[in-house]
Amino acid sequence: MLSSLPTILAAGKVDALVEKFGLAWPKFFAQVIIFWIVFSILKKYAFGPILGMLEQRRQRIADGEAKLEKIAKDAAEAAKNAQAVLDKAEADAARLVKEADEAAKALQERRQQDAVASANSIIAKAREAAELEKEQLMSQLKREFGRMVADATGRVTGKVLNSDDQSRINQETAAQVSA
Amino acid sequence: MLANVSSKAAELFAKDGVLSFLTNSTLVALVVLGIVLWFSRKATKNMSLVPHKAQNFMEFVIEFLYGQVEAIAGAKQAKLAFPLLCTLFIYILVSNWFGLLPGVGTIGWGEGTGFLSVKAAHDPLLRPPTADLNATIGIALSAFLVWIFLTLKEVGIWGFIVHTFGPKGGLKGIMGLVVAVVFLFVGVIEIVSIVIRPVTLSIRLFGNIFAGENVLHIMSDMMANKGPVMSFLGSIALPLPFYFMELLVGLLQAIVFTLLCTVYIQLSTTHDDHGHEEEGHH
Repeated sequence: MLSSLPTILAAGKVDALVEKFGLAWPKFFAQVIIFWIVFSILKKYAFGPILGMLEQRRQRIADGEAKLEKIAKDAAEAAKNAQAVLDKAEADAARLVKEADEAAKALQERRQQDAVASANSIIAKAREAAELEKEQLMSQLKREFGRMVADATGRVTGKVLNSDDQSRINQETAAQVSA
Repeated sequence: MLANVSSKAAELFAKDGVLSFLTNSTLVALVVLGIVLWFSRKATKNMSLVPHKAQNFMEFVIEFLYGQVEAIAGAKQAKLAFPLLCTLFIYILVSNWFGLLPGVGTIGWGEGTGFLSVKAAHDPLLRPPTADLNATIGIALSAFLVWIFLTLKEVGIWGFIVHTFGPKGGLKGIMGLVVAVVFLFVGVIEIVSIVIRPVTLSIRLFGNIFAGENVLHIMSDMMANKGPVMSFLGSIALPLPFYFMELLVGLLQAIVFTLLCTVYIQLSTTHDDHGHEEEGHH
């Protein structure tokens, strides 16, 4: 190609090419100016705003992703905190139930002991009362029985018994009844 | 009736004079400018985080292209070079596809055959800018200037010279000298390849789109001599598959042009790490 260049130039073929393809400075500059106007228009009205919008959208998506990540992180943290609160509440509840159970058992035992003591006391008192009543009845019975024996003895013997006789018969009768 | 496409754009008013720059391709370039202005305003009007249809489409295109540029040129260069590279892609794509619209290249002036009818549109009213070498050279040189700016900004003049001519491999002694001579020669080849980049870029784009225009016109003309009915049917049916191919070619050429410019920027702005490698060996 390099070797053929001088041949083309020497033969005046350049002029022929210029003529054949209509090359001319005014047409060339007109085309160049139109191309640069297209370039300026696209740069101002298309590339700038569109690239700006693409960058804005990219930034927005990146922000959204970051927010999403933060929300997921916060949600995980919240879930962790909620679990911790639940665990603590569960532990507190278990402890309170245990304490209440223990308190109830202690109260029940104390009440039981009180009831037993009260029952024992009532029983003891009842026994004392019964014993006292028995003694009263026995003494009354002895007296009545002595009186009846003395009366029967007086009627059988036809003798008026004095107080010593009556006392002795009463004592003997009481001794016999006791035996 | 259709004819083969002229290799140059036709002047709309006068071949010489103040308005000689106003050709059919300049007119389409102005229309493309209007389309780009209208759509970019529509897409960026009342913008919101939940995009409307036009905004959504524009965002899709820009985000996709930015990702591609960033993957090739790196994050730092992508920020600087993206506006130019994306403009290249959109401008070339819209221009290429505009050429496929009905009426582009077929409505114009020529030998009259009746009321509003010509035998062949020798001077069409509309011609895609990418089928005009003035436009493709202009675009390629614009990209080349931006490439020079970005390269010198990143590595500096000395850095560029070292990057291009400097010997690689860290060899010393006689072998180092031999390698230095080899890399000097490689550098000269590299400079030549850099200088012809605008030529290759512009001719590749022009050639593909111009060839596509020609194919469509030739296919439409294939049945021209078979009677009016066959001519009509042939002008619709025969070029139809090539329209789909040209849609693909239009997209492909926009991608190739943009991709090559991106790769050129990446190649020249990458810092050499030979110094670090040598330090690593010690």
